[in-house]
Amino acid sequence: MPISILPPAPAPSISYGADPSDSDDDFDLDGDIDMEGTSRGLKRPRTSQRHIVTPGELVTDDTQWMRGHGAYHPPDSTAIHSSVFGTILKTNKLLSIIPLRARYTPEIGDLVIGRIIEVQQRRWKVEVAAPLLASLPLSGINLPGGALRRRTAVDELNIRNFFTEGDLLVAEVQSVYESGQATLHTRSTKYGKLRNGFFMSVSGAGGGGLARKGGIARSRRQVFTLSTGRGGGDIDVILGVNGFIWIAKHVKPKMEEGPNRLEESVSMDVYSSQNNDIGVETRREIARVAGVIRALVEGGRRVDEEMVVKAYEVSLEMEEGMDVEGGDFLGGEKGRRVVEAVMSG
Amino acid sequence: MPLDTSSYSLALLRLDGRRWNELRRIHAQISTQAAVDGSSYLEMGNTKIICTVTGPAEGRRVGGGGSGGEATIQVEISVAGFSGVDRKKSGRGDRRIFELSYTIEQAVQTTLHTQNYSGSTISINLHVLTQDGSLLAALINAATLALIDAGVPMSDYLCACTAGSTTNTASSKGAPRPQAALPGLSSLDEEADDPLLDLNGLEEQELPFLTVGTLGASEKVVVCIMETRVQATRLEEMLAVGVDGCKRVRSIMDSVVRDHGKRMVDEG
Repeated sequence: MPISILPPAPAPSISYGADPSDSDDDFDLDGDIDMEGTSRGLKRPRTSQRHIVTPGELVTDDTQWMRGHGAYHPPDSTAIHSSVFGTILKTNKLLSIIPLRARYTPEIGDLVIGRIIEVQQRRWKVEVAAPLLASLPLSGINLPGGALRRRTAVDELNIRNFFTEGDLLVAEVQSVYESGQATLHTRSTKYGKLRNGFFMSVSGAGGGGLARKGGIARSRRQVFTLSTGRGGGDIDVILGVNGFIWIAKHVKPKMEEGPNRLEESVSMDVYSSQNNDIGVETRREIARVAGVIRALVEGGRRVDEEMVVKAYEVSLEMEEGMDVEGGDFLGGEKGRRVVEAVMSG
Repeated sequence: MPLDTSSYSLALLRLDGRRWNELRRIHAQISTQAAVDGSSYLEMGNTKIICTVTGPAEGRRVGGGGSGGEATIQVEISVAGFSGVDRKKSGRGDRRIFELSYTIEQAVQTTLHTQNYSGSTISINLHVLTQDGSLLAALINAATLALIDAGVPMSDYLCACTAGSTTNTASSKGAPRPQAALPGLSSLDEEADDPLLDLNGLEEQELPFLTVGTLGASEKVVVCIMETRVQATRLEEMLAVGVDGCKRVRSIMDSVVRDHGKRMVDEG
C-alpha cells in the first residue's frame, strides 16, 4: 500500500517575520553540502558562516575529510554526518561542526569566573557552567604570607578561610582531563576572589569558541577597566569565557613596589569577603554596564571589550539627550536602540 | 461509544476535518527561554508542550561513582492541572507519567552521543500545557528540539507521531453499510478500516492507536508504544503510516530549526 502523508493544513501565519518563501532553498536532505573552497589549500580555519547543518544531516561522503567535533560516522558507513545544529568549520582536512548554542567546554588558558560549590580536603569544586564541576586544588592558589611557600597541613585545616561555599572567583584553566573536567589555578595577582561588584551570566563560548552570537567570545583581553562618566570612577569588567561576567569597582592594589614584590604582597585580605564602600554613582554605572551587556546579548551581539565600551558610551550619550529621572533602565526598546547605535557607529 | 464511522466513511474526513493521512498543524519554536541551556515550545494541534533542557551539568551523584562513561538523563514531566478537559490534581507518583518519562529517557539515551559527558547529567523538563491526544509523541518531539537547542550531540532527530485504526464495527458484524448500496462507492468499502495518522484526543479515546518514534527519516523505530488492543493484521499498516508520519514530522522540525539558525546567523 503506497502511503503518502499529507502536510498539515497551512495555518494562519504567526511566524516572526520570517519569509516563508526562502525556507526551502537550502532544504536538501539527500544532497551533498556545497564544499566551497576545497580546491584551494586552506591554511587557516574557515567557517562557512551561512550554511547551517542540523543533526543527522549528511555533510559529505567524500572520504578525504576527517571527522572532527560535532560530526559522526553512522555505524556502517564512512560518510560524515552532523550531530549538532551549527555551522561547518574546515581546518585543512578536518571537518567539524560548531554548534550555534552549547554549554561551555573548558580549554587550557581560558579565563573563567566560577562559584565555589563544595569544599573538600585539599581542593574546591567550582561551578564554571561546564559539563563537570572544575576543581581548584589548594596548591593552585597563592597562599598568603611570603613568596610562593609550600602548603602546609594548617592551610588544609583553614581551607575555608581562603574560599568557602558560594564565593566567586576568577581563575585560569590550568589543565583539562580526558573526561572534560577542568583544573583551575589562581596563581597570579590578576586572579582570585571577587568582591565589590555585580555578577551576571550570559551564554559563553560553547563548542568551538569562535565568535558566537549573543555571548562572550574568546578575545585578547577578557579583563578591562572602564573609566565611567558621571562620577562613577573606574569599573573593572571581567568577561569569563564561560559566560559569567563580573562588573566591579576598580580598587587599586595597595602595594606597588615592582614586579618581584607584587608576588609577595599576597596577604590575607586578598581572601577577605568584605566589600569596600561603593558610592551611589559607582553602583549606578555598574548597573549601566550590566544593562548594556544584557542589551547586547538580547540583540544577539557578541560581547567583548570593544562592544561593551562602545555600547556604554552610546548609552551615556543617550542619557544626556533625555534627562528623565529613572531613565537608567536599558531593557526593551531602549536596549535595542543602543545596540543599533553601536552597530551603525 | 464508537466513533461515528458513517460520517467518516462518507466524506473520508475525520471529526476535525482531516483526511486519514493528514497531520495536525505543528508549530514549534526553539530557544524560548534564555535562562536554560536549551528550550522549545511545541504545538501539535491542540497539544502544547514547553520543554527546557539543562546540562550536561554535574548533578548530584546518584549511587556509587556514577562514571559509567555516559551522561545520565533525567526526564521530568509535569502535567498542568488545567491541561485536560476536566481539571485534575497532578498526582505526584502517577504511574502513567512515570512510564512516559521512562520511555522518553530510554529513547533519548539511544539517540544522544553522551560518551563525552561521563559523570554529568542532562535534565529534560517537560511541561504539558494542553493535552489533546498524541501526548507522548509531542513530548518526544519537544524534547528533541530542546536538546538540539542545547547543542547536545545526537545521531539524528528523534521524531514521533501516532497512528490509529478505525474500528469498523459495522463491517465486522456483517451488517450492510450505508453506502454499500451505491455502486460507485463500493471501492471505498475496502478502505473502511483505514489507518489514521496523528490522532486527536477524541479519536484517541475511541480508537486503538500506537505511538511510534523513529530516528530521523530512517525507518529505525526507537519508540513503539501501544496501550490499546487491535487486530494483529492491522498493526502493520498502522506502523507503516506512523513511520511515514514521522518522516513528515522530521522535515517540519528540521525547517523550524533551520529557520531559527538562519535568523541567528543573519543577525550577528
